[in-house]
Amino acid sequence: MRPRHGIHLADVGSYTLLGIALIVFLFPVYWMLATSLKPPGEWLTRPPVFWPSTIHWENFTDALIKWGGLKGLRDSLIVASLSTAISMVVGVPAAYSLGRYRTGGENLSFIILSVLFMPPVAVAIPMYLFWSRLGLIDTYTALVGQYTVFNIPFIAWVLKSFFEDIPREMEESAVVNGATRWRAFWEIAVPLARPSIVAVTLLAFIFSWNEFFFAVILTRARVTTLPFILPTLMEGHNVLWGDIAAIATLGAVPVVVLAFLLQRYLVRGLSFGTVRER
Amino acid sequence: MREDTGRRERGEGPSGPSPLRSSPGPASRRHLLSAQRRFGWWLLLPSLIMLAANSIFPLLYAVGVSTKAYQMLIPGPRRFVGLANYIQALQDPLVWHSLAVTLYFVGGVLVLQFPAGLGLALLLHRLPRRQELVATLLLIPTILSASVVGFQWVQLYNYEFGPLNYLLALLHLGQPTWTADPHLALPALIFVDFWEWTPFMTLLLFAGLRSLPPQIVDAARVDGSTPWQVVWRVFLPLLRPIIGIALILRIIMAFKLFDIVYVLTAGGPGIATESLAFYTYIQGFRYFNMGYASALSILQLILITILAKLLLRLTRRPPIGGFIPQEAPL
Repeated sequence: MRPRHGIHLADVGSYTLLGIALIVFLFPVYWMLATSLKPPGEWLTRPPVFWPSTIHWENFTDALIKWGGLKGLRDSLIVASLSTAISMVVGVPAAYSLGRYRTGGENLSFIILSVLFMPPVAVAIPMYLFWSRLGLIDTYTALVGQYTVFNIPFIAWVLKSFFEDIPREMEESAVVNGATRWRAFWEIAVPLARPSIVAVTLLAFIFSWNEFFFAVILTRARVTTLPFILPTLMEGHNVLWGDIAAIATLGAVPVVVLAFLLQRYLVRGLSFGTVRER
Repeated sequence: MREDTGRRERGEGPSGPSPLRSSPGPASRRHLLSAQRRFGWWLLLPSLIMLAANSIFPLLYAVGVSTKAYQMLIPGPRRFVGLANYIQALQDPLVWHSLAVTLYFVGGVLVLQFPAGLGLALLLHRLPRRQELVATLLLIPTILSASVVGFQWVQLYNYEFGPLNYLLALLHLGQPTWTADPHLALPALIFVDFWEWTPFMTLLLFAGLRSLPPQIVDAARVDGSTPWQVVWRVFLPLLRPIIGIALILRIIMAFKLFDIVYVLTAGGPGIATESLAFYTYIQGFRYFNMGYASALSILQLILITILAKLLLRLTRRPPIGGFIPQEAPL
């Protein structure tokens, strides 16, 4: 696919197109960042300000302190890390079981995957009734529980494909030599899969960090994750664009950083393990 | 979703795991097998319990609620009404309207995102260097939270102060109100989804392109095929499995359209962008018609299951020419 030598007209064309695509796909992100740094006088102007005249960090301090950004960060962090941790503890053995032993066959695997295909509203109503009967609406428990359940099939499917790729000989010879199956799993397969386990952990964290629908349904005022507070701020104070943009930026930055760290794993992770890259 | 028959373990037969080969008789062999199977189930059990508790149980419960006149704000026993909620749903013009909105959206998603995704994937594939970097930069919209995306587009679509209308004014192209215009609101949402998810399509197709054996592409080149012919006759047939996966994932996600509606239009103006999921949400969480909303949920679940089954069947046919890159790690 590489040009043999020299610059072809086709290459110029394709670089131009790619450049335009990059501008289109990154401009909204740039606009959010720019707004988060603009002084108040430049938030709502006509013509709009494309480049902030000065950097106005007060948007971030206001966002963090006045508009609950700090609480949002904390709640997002608590909910995302707890649900990621629990779902990894439960999901990694499940992935190993599906990948190595084909427990339940392809059918069971598909049933587990289909949990991800369920429209969230279909689950939302009974789950709302369920959590409210337990008196757990607007608590960490409800959100963590809900996200854990969506993380498990994700983890199971992505890691299943990684476990399938690890040669089984080492585990087998360990079992022949008298190791328990649990030790073969825990002391051989898991260390071999460590890079992909780290990647899947971070991806599960991203999903929980970003989740929006159940945050709207299961929380009110006590548990306020960043994705949840954003729209409420937009309704209430829609003139404070710089501050809101700062909150949005706080929600976006960790995810973008993680994505760059995870480059190699994005294809497999985002396709739920169904697409394997070389 | 391709199964790897080569490495597949059925637990029986000559391809069984090697520890079994060292075991002498059929009796202990069966014992070992069942021990292994039991171990597999133990590892899976916690997940199964949690999934059942949080998805199968709620579903059964929803089926139950959907057969009752269940208004959350009205206390007292819930009367059993059989299929009345379902019949009401089928006669509700708003249900048909929201189905039309959803299908329009899914259609828009497919028509725009597949060609654009493929085009971008081909462009990326031509890049001599920095493919991963560019791919990850492009992917930023996909990995952001829907609520962050919603905020960005609220800003961009702003009638008076948004950069989009400013640019349009410079070009003398008028000042649309975007999400406030009954005719433009849904296309505006389709464009947001295009922006958010085309990179995802690109990433999957790009991964597919990279996994193709280079000899095949070179052979096609040497044959004197034009670039278009290479794309149509070589890439597309070979990429068929991955195209299938990408389309299924996108269709199913698009069918669940809720987040950007909630943030950007709240179903409006009027009911112009009320998707099935959003209408169900309104019935359940604004009017607290839990019985009716549950019936709507179940209907959507049935629809999506049928859709997924159909799509899976369509993509499972072997690609043209019979070449399946089995060993290419697709």
